[in-house]
Amino acid sequence: MKNDTLVSFEGVVKRFGEFVAVQRMDFEIGKGEFLAIMGSSGCGKTTTLRMLAGLEAPSEGVIRLSGKPINDLPTWSRDTPMVWQSLALFPFLNVIENVEFALKMRGVGKAERRRKAEQWLDRMQITEFASRNISQLSGGQRQRVALARSLVVEPEILLLDEPLSALDAALKVRMQSVLKNLQRETGITFVYVTHSQSEAFSMADRVVIMSRGKIEQIGTPKEIYRTPRTRFVAGFLGSSNMFTGKVSGSDGGVVTLDTPAGALRLSAAGMPQPVAAGQTATLTVLDTKTDLAVTPPSGRVNTLPVRMIGEEFIGATATIYLETADGQEIRIQKSHEDLANLPLQIGQELVAHWSYEDGHLVMEE
Amino acid sequence: MRRSLTLYGLTFSLPLLIWQLLFFVFPLVFLVALSFWTVKNFRMQPDIDAVNWVTMYGRPLFWQAYGITFAMSAAAAALVSALAFPCSYAIAFKLSETGRRWAVFLMVIPFFTSYLVRVYSWQIFLSDAGIINVMLGWVGLGPYGLLNTVGATMIGYLTLTFPLVVLLQLFSLAFIDRTLIEAAHNLRCGRLRTVFAVIIPSARVGLVIAALFAFILSFGDFVSPIYLGGGDPTTLSILITDTTKSGQQWPRAAVIALTMIGTLMAVAFAAVRFAYKGRTK
Ligand SMILES: Nc1ncnc2c1ncn2[C@@H]1O[C@H](COP(=O)(O)OP(=O)(O)O)[C@@H](O)[C@H]1O
Ligand SMILES: [Mg+2]
Repeated sequence: MKNDTLVSFEGVVKRFGEFVAVQRMDFEIGKGEFLAIMGSSGCGKTTTLRMLAGLEAPSEGVIRLSGKPINDLPTWSRDTPMVWQSLALFPFLNVIENVEFALKMRGVGKAERRRKAEQWLDRMQITEFASRNISQLSGGQRQRVALARSLVVEPEILLLDEPLSALDAALKVRMQSVLKNLQRETGITFVYVTHSQSEAFSMADRVVIMSRGKIEQIGTPKEIYRTPRTRFVAGFLGSSNMFTGKVSGSDGGVVTLDTPAGALRLSAAGMPQPVAAGQTATLTVLDTKTDLAVTPPSGRVNTLPVRMIGEEFIGATATIYLETADGQEIRIQKSHEDLANLPLQIGQELVAHWSYEDGHLVMEE
Repeated sequence: MRRSLTLYGLTFSLPLLIWQLLFFVFPLVFLVALSFWTVKNFRMQPDIDAVNWVTMYGRPLFWQAYGITFAMSAAAAALVSALAFPCSYAIAFKLSETGRRWAVFLMVIPFFTSYLVRVYSWQIFLSDAGIINVMLGWVGLGPYGLLNTVGATMIGYLTLTFPLVVLLQLFSLAFIDRTLIEAAHNLRCGRLRTVFAVIIPSARVGLVIAALFAFILSFGDFVSPIYLGGGDPTTLSILITDTTKSGQQWPRAAVIALTMIGTLMAVAFAAVRFAYKGRTK
């Protein structure tokens, strides 16, 4: 274990009766890291977070906090404050009493309690609401109270379970920057559960992608975006075109993949295990790295005849929908200038192509 | 926002309004009028004379009975709330779904039998040769005078109010947001402390209303103080029967009844205010 590891999950499994909610999890969370756990609804994100908070006991495996196993520690003996999806603010306490709650439980004196709570209200810019009832606050203000309530004890780690899901889009973006700044300034480790790719990718240092109780990939947003490790991740991110086929040759570091759309080539460098002929694999290429032309350009090994089937313009980028010869739908995202010289009409025959280095191989497991 | 009365709304509320008018407002008005009547030669006469009010309020015996009744029903409300809470807490938080359903069913069963019957059966338990004294006799204790004591009256009050208080408390506990409890634990609030810091404040309205019902039922109860308490000390309900028996003093009894109604209204108002204190919704 590394020195700067705060939390480690070692072979952690969680079952509810017969149902496996979390399958063998092994990962570490570094000190001061902003880690996002992302996945679709029901994939086990909350369960993972609740195990870390001590609200759910792992069925197997060990969870360590600062090197010490914490499996048997009840939640009230851990310092793992959580921000709930529903916020779970105490409606019978006013704003400042909510913030003072954890200090009171720790036996902090009255004056000291008030002083610290006021500091955090100030920091979260909600001082003026100190004596308001929770029901009198807006969604964004409640959010800030919930954060202050958890952070007032200055914990080493903060757990957040989809805290922004109840806010409208504009407020979401604002709170994202509040959260990111807060994390940077305090140096507190954030574990942030979300189903939103934009939240995870814009805030987190590293992202854990989960699917059906399993970790699909862990990495920085850039790594995951550029080189999705599994077909699930590539599909989930939705930003890559994917071609599945059989490996027909693998020599000199060049892998050839036979797909219904045609033979495609890519570099085998960086593959975790050697690639053998006959294996099923998927080539992924980002839709922003896929180019369009009227005739096959020279010097490109991967070219596909396609037919345009649709277009969509959002802001500065255009998305062109295309169909390959075998009927697979693919997508290209480009700026308007990049597309200026192309005859873009529905039904137009074009050529999709990308450079050899932009294709990534994902093996079928 | 005030909504004007619609014909539709009236159709449904009318029977209830008529019922209330017939069986609550009219008798109350009559009771008020009656309290100003006079009794001459054991005959009541319509009159407007404050003599009954002056006589009753001038009697130390009346105020003694008032004080005792108030204190005993307040004690019963506090006692039954305290005894019922662990029970409803366990039902709400420790039992499975099936167990909870059974517990609710068991709490409803006492309502099947008449309260009077249940009080009589307590006599069998508490009398000098009753079940409890016989059992104590086996281990060489007693007999103790259990019947005709304040304690026996209290047992009667508990018999009357316990199942209802458990049910009312249970419904307020059942609606507590469980994440609030987890949030408290998560902020280092231990299990017992959470009961006082989170669960009781969350269920406050229901707990206060349950205690209020216990108070109201005990305050007006006649059965327990007479059949278990032996009529001593005199409660207001006993005083009413005594007053009517002695020389047709229905107007004076009306004074006692009106004082009781006034007290209950004041207590109910204060309790509801206390229950909702600090809530703005
Ligand atoms: N207490 C529980 N009992 C039974 N099943 C549960 C329980 N908690 C969660 N689950 C199941 O575990 C799976 C993962 O749940 P959860 O971790 O809440 O998902 P997420 O937060 O990713 O949406 C879901 O299928 C859910 O139904
Ligand atoms: Mg969840």
